[in-house]
Amino acid sequence: MLKYLISSVEQLLALMIMTGLLSAYLEHAFGPKGKLGTRTGICAGLIAGFVMGYFKNYTNRIDTGRWNLRNFSVMLAAFLVFLVMTALAKKVKWAGTAAVAAGAVMIALLFLYYLPDFLSYPHIVLQTEKTVFSTAFLYRMIGAVLGLVLCIVAGVSVFQGALRLSLSVSFLLAVLALAVNEVKEITSSFSIMLAKRLIPSNHTLFVIAKHASNYSQWFIFLTIAVGAVVPVILWVRSFHVNEPYRNSAERRKIIAKWRSARRWSTSCLICGVLSVLMLTSVKAYANREVELSPIEDAPVKDGAVYVSFDQVSDGHLHRFGYTTEDGVTIRFIVIQKPNSSAYGVGLDACDICGETGYYEKGGQVVCNLCDVVMNINTIGFKGGCNPKVIDYEIHDGNIIVPVDGLMEYESDFK
Amino acid sequence: MKKRTLATAMTGIIAAFAMAINVGAAAAPGEAAGFTEYPIFEDQEVGFINLSAVYFQPVPMSNGNESIEGFDIHLEADISALENDLGYGVGDWVPYLTVDYKVVGSNGETAAEGTFMPMSASDGPHYGANIALPEADTYNVTFTIHSPEEMGYLVHTDAETGPGGTFDTAFADGNLEYTFEGWDYTPQEW
Repeated sequence: MLKYLISSVEQLLALMIMTGLLSAYLEHAFGPKGKLGTRTGICAGLIAGFVMGYFKNYTNRIDTGRWNLRNFSVMLAAFLVFLVMTALAKKVKWAGTAAVAAGAVMIALLFLYYLPDFLSYPHIVLQTEKTVFSTAFLYRMIGAVLGLVLCIVAGVSVFQGALRLSLSVSFLLAVLALAVNEVKEITSSFSIMLAKRLIPSNHTLFVIAKHASNYSQWFIFLTIAVGAVVPVILWVRSFHVNEPYRNSAERRKIIAKWRSARRWSTSCLICGVLSVLMLTSVKAYANREVELSPIEDAPVKDGAVYVSFDQVSDGHLHRFGYTTEDGVTIRFIVIQKPNSSAYGVGLDACDICGETGYYEKGGQVVCNLCDVVMNINTIGFKGGCNPKVIDYEIHDGNIIVPVDGLMEYESDFK
Repeated sequence: MKKRTLATAMTGIIAAFAMAINVGAAAAPGEAAGFTEYPIFEDQEVGFINLSAVYFQPVPMSNGNESIEGFDIHLEADISALENDLGYGVGDWVPYLTVDYKVVGSNGETAAEGTFMPMSASDGPHYGANIALPEADTYNVTFTIHSPEEMGYLVHTDAETGPGGTFDTAFADGNLEYTFEGWDYTPQEW
């Protein structure tokens, strides 16, 4: 659940903050025209995002890289048009409408870029869960929805807060957030074009793309920082209100206005703090390395490790090992199969993820690296993320694992 | 007048947006735009084998390998036979191989390693695996190809029906190995 909560925040928070800031400026600066533009942009973006989500998950017609390049190109053009038209808005009659149109296009493109991956979460989970009527599916979707709610509240709070700022500050913040997004999209374009060999190999561009990729979280943090300016300014201003009033009714109205501003600011700040926590501490907790259960004692005699049925007949995962002369411990696991007297025996490593090992969680055996839940009944069979198959025999109430067989895998545990 | 201008602008937005969608959707009939391979290296001769490597989005696979969570790419070795005396047709996929992969970062640390699984995609059989490779870096990729005899694949050795060669000869120097140095990799959005 936590992983999907964090993924949702990573996927949607920047979208919501940018949409909130840009919508606030457009509505503030251009009135009903701006409002219509933002609503049109959001609706078009939602429709396009859903359509794209469907095509990405259920057809093979979408080359995401090329799509992103198109999206980024139109986005950059719209951003430049927006800047120029906003500057001309007071001098040229139609420039305001053009600025609104450019803003609407940007909002739509942002939704088209960010939304489909969020919408694909159920599809990805169902590839393993197969049914929506499973606890794992339910928990993961709860996580995703909680993340969505947090991002929407953050976006609405930023929007409401930015509406209460001066026009120039509102414009500056919207442009700053969009500029951060432009840097992200331009560096992503380098990455796509280099990977697809659409442009010749270029070391400088690769280094830029590499650093932008490895520090991609900073784009989200920068966007959060820009959004956080909104509540900070409002809070400071709310304590220095010096608006004239003629009677107590007007005074009450002013107090109510700034009380409302403080509430939206509080909402903004809470969302900001929660988001930063999600992307730092909670993420570190969710991705923490699971400590494998200790290796249990099993006697080694006559060139084999002896595991008695009594040790492993409780239906839980048990880990054993043999330490070689070079000090390498070769681990293997044993688990009694559900509703059966048979045992699943295999190396505590697989072909794909190496010696990362397996752990038990909620009665299931999970790969420590890729989180794949193993089918306990297939442990002992070759293939995929299943534990590597090892030789063993059952005799006289013991699972006997020859040391010679284990030694073949010594290099796996170095 | 103002309303007409506004309506025209909005129509323009929607038209431009629809145009962007159409441009993107313009895949030719039968073209699988969603299955685009990203090359790492192409057509290296390793013993009797022609070796290429590509990567693309992590893919769900059969037999308990449906999950793509936690993986960044599907790494694939395309292996076909060159001129040989082992009975393989030139250009044919070579089955029953054990293919190990190792991806080493610029700091010298191993970022991913393991053994590929044989599998089929819409473009035919290959050896591949979903792997986690979240860091952008310049990597060295090593493929180690074991003799098919390790998987129980045999070759006729008599003069009448045998192709003339043996795996002992083809793998006389041990496993076939190829390292591609300088793979500039950045994680992609799939």
